[in-house]
Amino acid sequence: MPKHSFDYDLIVIGSGAAGSAAATIAARAGKKVAIIEEDTFGGDSPNWGNIPTKALLHAARVYDEARHGSRFGLRTATLGYNYPSIRTWKELAVKRTGAANNRRFYENNGVSAFHGKAHFLTPHEITVNRRHLSAAYFLVATGSSWIAPNIQGLSDVTYFTPRTILETMRPPKSLLIIGGGQYGVEIAQLMATFGTKVYIAEQAGRLLPHQDAEVGETIERVLTEQKGVTVLTHSRVLSVAKDGLGKKILVSRGGTEKFIRTDEILVAAGRQPNVDLGLENASVTYTAKGIEVNDWLQTSTKHIYAAGDVLGRDNHTHSALLESKVVAHNILERTNISPDYTATPGVIFTTPEIATVGLTEDDCRRRDISINKALVPLSIIARSNTADFRDGFVKLISDKKGVIIGGTIVAPHAGELIHEIGLAVKYSLTATQLADTPHAFLSWAEAIRVAAQKLAG
Amino acid sequence: MTEGGPVTHVVKNGRHNRPELFSREKLHKSIVAACLSSGAPAGNAESTARRVSDEVLVWLESRPEVTSNDLRRVAAKALRTYHPDASYLYEHHRSIM
Repeated sequence: MPKHSFDYDLIVIGSGAAGSAAATIAARAGKKVAIIEEDTFGGDSPNWGNIPTKALLHAARVYDEARHGSRFGLRTATLGYNYPSIRTWKELAVKRTGAANNRRFYENNGVSAFHGKAHFLTPHEITVNRRHLSAAYFLVATGSSWIAPNIQGLSDVTYFTPRTILETMRPPKSLLIIGGGQYGVEIAQLMATFGTKVYIAEQAGRLLPHQDAEVGETIERVLTEQKGVTVLTHSRVLSVAKDGLGKKILVSRGGTEKFIRTDEILVAAGRQPNVDLGLENASVTYTAKGIEVNDWLQTSTKHIYAAGDVLGRDNHTHSALLESKVVAHNILERTNISPDYTATPGVIFTTPEIATVGLTEDDCRRRDISINKALVPLSIIARSNTADFRDGFVKLISDKKGVIIGGTIVAPHAGELIHEIGLAVKYSLTATQLADTPHAFLSWAEAIRVAAQKLAG
Repeated sequence: MTEGGPVTHVVKNGRHNRPELFSREKLHKSIVAACLSSGAPAGNAESTARRVSDEVLVWLESRPEVTSNDLRRVAAKALRTYHPDASYLYEHHRSIM
């Protein structure tokens, strides 16, 4: 029987974190690879997501710390900012990653790069700009995009998404953010630091509803008391309309309806996987929540893999990268492996930063796992005194045998600190082992030791 | 796509022929036929077909090439809002007839 011949060994659809690693690994292994990108090469994270947002948040943090430096004896009366220059800094940060707009990178690595929308014609063939390309294997890494919620009048007004607000020429005077999740909270803090009057409308009873209650309560207190943000929990936006140069928003809260007038609106009400690429023609099963895959990241059509946001699991860039490497391995090697998400950290880059790993208390309650927990406020450690910073805590969770199964940190540099707990979760360390490990005096990590000590009893 | 919009090619089932240009008129006629077959009055069938064709055209805007299966699926999905019976007939007429 003649063997099928294809144009490529592997075609990767999407050049973000979920696509790029598999494409380069396969190309370096001598496979003939093509990568297709509809938007900007490099994907959302370096171009429109993590990198630009965090570059702006860093500038905002430096500005905010300097502004509040008078308590340390610094003179800050003349401090100001130039937003176009801050944008230039952001663009420099994006450019320096090397991952943004990196079409040439793929070409230099022997990967054929195509710009256009990929659409499956058959299980082994796609069309890109009417050019038909076939492959033995495919990786669908098309990511996700911001949802436009079904709000009356929203389609008739202009509004920002967390992607487009990064391109604004100056912070708006007032801004209503629909959605109090990770991106809503990060941008609320960013814009409020630069002087915008921010409102956040969140349907749940607290900000960051996917985190434990203490996290949402702490960040709400910080945003309200320090940044003047108006947090509207239990609130639903009913309608939006133009009001002169601004917008008039009807919000329902606790049975009462009231109008809020702001200059701009930001919609950060979640993301949906990009699955509209003719998957039916390839017999790939999917739902509105994402593409269904097995443990080896194979879709219902075995030679088509999927990774990253398009799976609808979480939207961490590091998880997408892990999945991409797993797919490359499963295509190239005889034995299959599956991604291990056990100690995957999640970080929200507010001030203080929020970081979680393993199970949260809410996760344990939902799964009916009996746990022990310890929560230590930052204010009890020495660093809190020397840095004059008290908002935050470390929370550790262990099973009944004392093995650490999760942790949450709300503190400066929580994104770094969380990896210690990540190691403990991954290698099933006990609270006693964590408490017995020396932690440097005057480090923020002391709070982890204290929490572990408390947990160990 | 004809009539001023971006040009979309339709890859036919079985792939024996070359891709052909998308024709709004052809789509419109096929939807009208499905509506009439499932008992819709002629005027209603025409207006439904017009609305469904508009929705399909929006979907086609960013797509230079699609399959005839895609057209059937997307049109049937749009038709489901206006006439569920016609939508079923439209989507499954190959297996029914």
